[in-house]
Amino acid sequence: MTQLILFNVFNGLIVGAFYALMALGLSLILNLSGVINFAHGGFLALGAYFAYALIPYVGFWGALVLSPILTGVVGLVVERLLIRPLYGRDPLYGLLLTFGLAYMLEDGVKYVWGPQSLPFEAPTWLMSSLSNDYFFLTGYRLFMILIVVVAVAGLFGVLGYTRLGMRIRAGTRDLETVSTLGVNTRLLRSLNFGLGVYFAGLAGVLAAGQLGLEPTIGDGLIMPSFVAIIVGGLGSLVGTLFGGLLIGVVSGLTTVFWPAASEAVIYVMMGLVLLLRPRGLLGEEGRIV
Amino acid sequence: MPNETLAPVVDRRTFVKTALAVGAATVASPYIIPARAADVVKLGMANPLTGTYAAFGKNESIGCQLAVEEINAKGGILGRQAQLIIEDSTSGDAGTAVQKSRKLIDSDHVNFLLGNVNSALALAMAGVSNEKGVLHIDPGGHTDAVTGKSCHWNVFRVCNTTAMEANAVASALVKSYGKKFYYITPDYAYGHTVEAGLITAIKKLGGERIGGDLAPLGTVDFSSYLIKAQAAKPDVILFLVAGNDLINALKQAVQFGLDKKFHLAGALMELEVLEGLPTEARIGTWLLEWYWNQPNVPHLDAFVAGIKKKTGRVPTARHWFGYVGGWTCALGAEKAKSLKALDIAKALQDFALPPEVALGPNKAYYRANQNQLLDTIYVGLAKAKGSAPDDLFDVKTLVNGADVAISGTLEESGCKMTWPT
Repeated sequence: MTQLILFNVFNGLIVGAFYALMALGLSLILNLSGVINFAHGGFLALGAYFAYALIPYVGFWGALVLSPILTGVVGLVVERLLIRPLYGRDPLYGLLLTFGLAYMLEDGVKYVWGPQSLPFEAPTWLMSSLSNDYFFLTGYRLFMILIVVVAVAGLFGVLGYTRLGMRIRAGTRDLETVSTLGVNTRLLRSLNFGLGVYFAGLAGVLAAGQLGLEPTIGDGLIMPSFVAIIVGGLGSLVGTLFGGLLIGVVSGLTTVFWPAASEAVIYVMMGLVLLLRPRGLLGEEGRIV
Repeated sequence: MPNETLAPVVDRRTFVKTALAVGAATVASPYIIPARAADVVKLGMANPLTGTYAAFGKNESIGCQLAVEEINAKGGILGRQAQLIIEDSTSGDAGTAVQKSRKLIDSDHVNFLLGNVNSALALAMAGVSNEKGVLHIDPGGHTDAVTGKSCHWNVFRVCNTTAMEANAVASALVKSYGKKFYYITPDYAYGHTVEAGLITAIKKLGGERIGGDLAPLGTVDFSSYLIKAQAAKPDVILFLVAGNDLINALKQAVQFGLDKKFHLAGALMELEVLEGLPTEARIGTWLLEWYWNQPNVPHLDAFVAGIKKKTGRVPTARHWFGYVGGWTCALGAEKAKSLKALDIAKALQDFALPPEVALGPNKAYYRANQNQLLDTIYVGLAKAKGSAPDDLFDVKTLVNGADVAISGTLEESGCKMTWPT
């Protein structure tokens, strides 16, 4: 039994790391722009399908680099055309827009590539199992953790040490003052949105290796991302990271004892957090959005 | 408030009033739209076009569309042209499926109702069709109850029951792999019945269930279940999940190297799933309900060509289900010389499909007082690559569904059909 539990904790951390990757992108967008991006799952699917389309030309590694960038560019375009007009209005507008956008992205992908599952071939040496005596470790999962670690480190590096990052952090606190200091906040929000969507695209490429590639691939992953943000705390990226890992582990452990509840348990956690500590575990007090 | 700019801008109140008017029109339309031409015979299909079963629903609708085109080319149904109306039932929302069925029957006045890929939705729709007395064909919803406990005189099913599937594949599983089975089952009607059927059939052959898990429909990450399966140390891990869940589960199982430690197999496999798997995950013993690559079956080439023209790919079992569904409506009406559901239902008792529709080696017929199509089941092995790009299955045994060891007796099905007087 202990072995089973240990397996599941380890496994939960891996799954949680993936949720955290998704949630970080979502959190970035939410913090700076105040937009609840329901289309994040759709961008994940887009990233996965771009990778599928690119692999025959640039191989898996090329697709891993290019596809998130392409997705980020699409995000930039979407922000400029669709989301920018809604800044300053009731957050409901942004929510409705991204909700509709999610359907558009899913149907668009279905229109171009069809509703059936497509075979996504990641490199075979990556897919092989490394050990399943102590825990289920495959080359692919190790690779996934590596990518998540690099991406998260990169993100925190950008936020902590570059001018753009500094401006984003300042903007999440007080965008108006940042704007009066001469920063082009329109560009800032666009870049921030693009960066968030880049993370969705990256998550999409990683997901396609593990899951069946079909238009609804993002659906099952977007809700845990929202829950990760709420549990970890609105306004705190470290909190989001922590929230993702936490719900991954809890969900994995629940499967050992009560599989039917494994999906529901993350919402129960969300409910508990909202009741007992509404700001989230590491969130800032008074943060509304 | 009127807007004084040069560009014509619709003011907010006008916009809201227009939106409400459009919304009201959508709801009120059954009463406003005049009666359609009475010359057309309508088939209404409510199947998933979105969600996790979108690929299956789409393929069934394409198969049915091909059938309707062929029917019209041959003169239609009782001299009248046939028309297929397709609605999206969603992949899992019974409320929408019921609403669309009612819309097809009450608004569009369809003569025939077809659906649903999702077993639970098929049952819900059968309730509506029975209430309204409309002939209903279920092309691809597998749970036993549709032609079992909840059977109705007006509901016919093309695909196999889960009991038939279990009986057909059980002996291949026990013979090839061993006696200790671990089950990964989807937690809904279909999963429960196919697992129950397999447990019984495997027990008769000396095998046993040493453990299992019920995975919620739409599970994305199967690692926890696979971890438990490994700990149980079975001979075979049976994957009873379907569609995308099966792709996820097999992909992950092979990534974990479980195929090197245990046998991986299951019951129902579909070509859509095989096509979506990476080559290293196309393994195991499964059954297909219909396969395109059969030698010496007349008229098969024409069907394969017909579907290839529409989709660019070979037909799957789902195309064939939709095709049989459409043709059953036409052939039943022709035999009964009537469009009345009761007459057609009576004409379809023990009705055998002609070879150009059956497209298989054995006779395919709807068993009387159960309305279940008994036909060939293809048991075999998934293969990574075949002689043709879509040849991903190696048929080892052709099982005859009409054999009572496979179909079970009428009593065993639990169907007690009552006919309206």
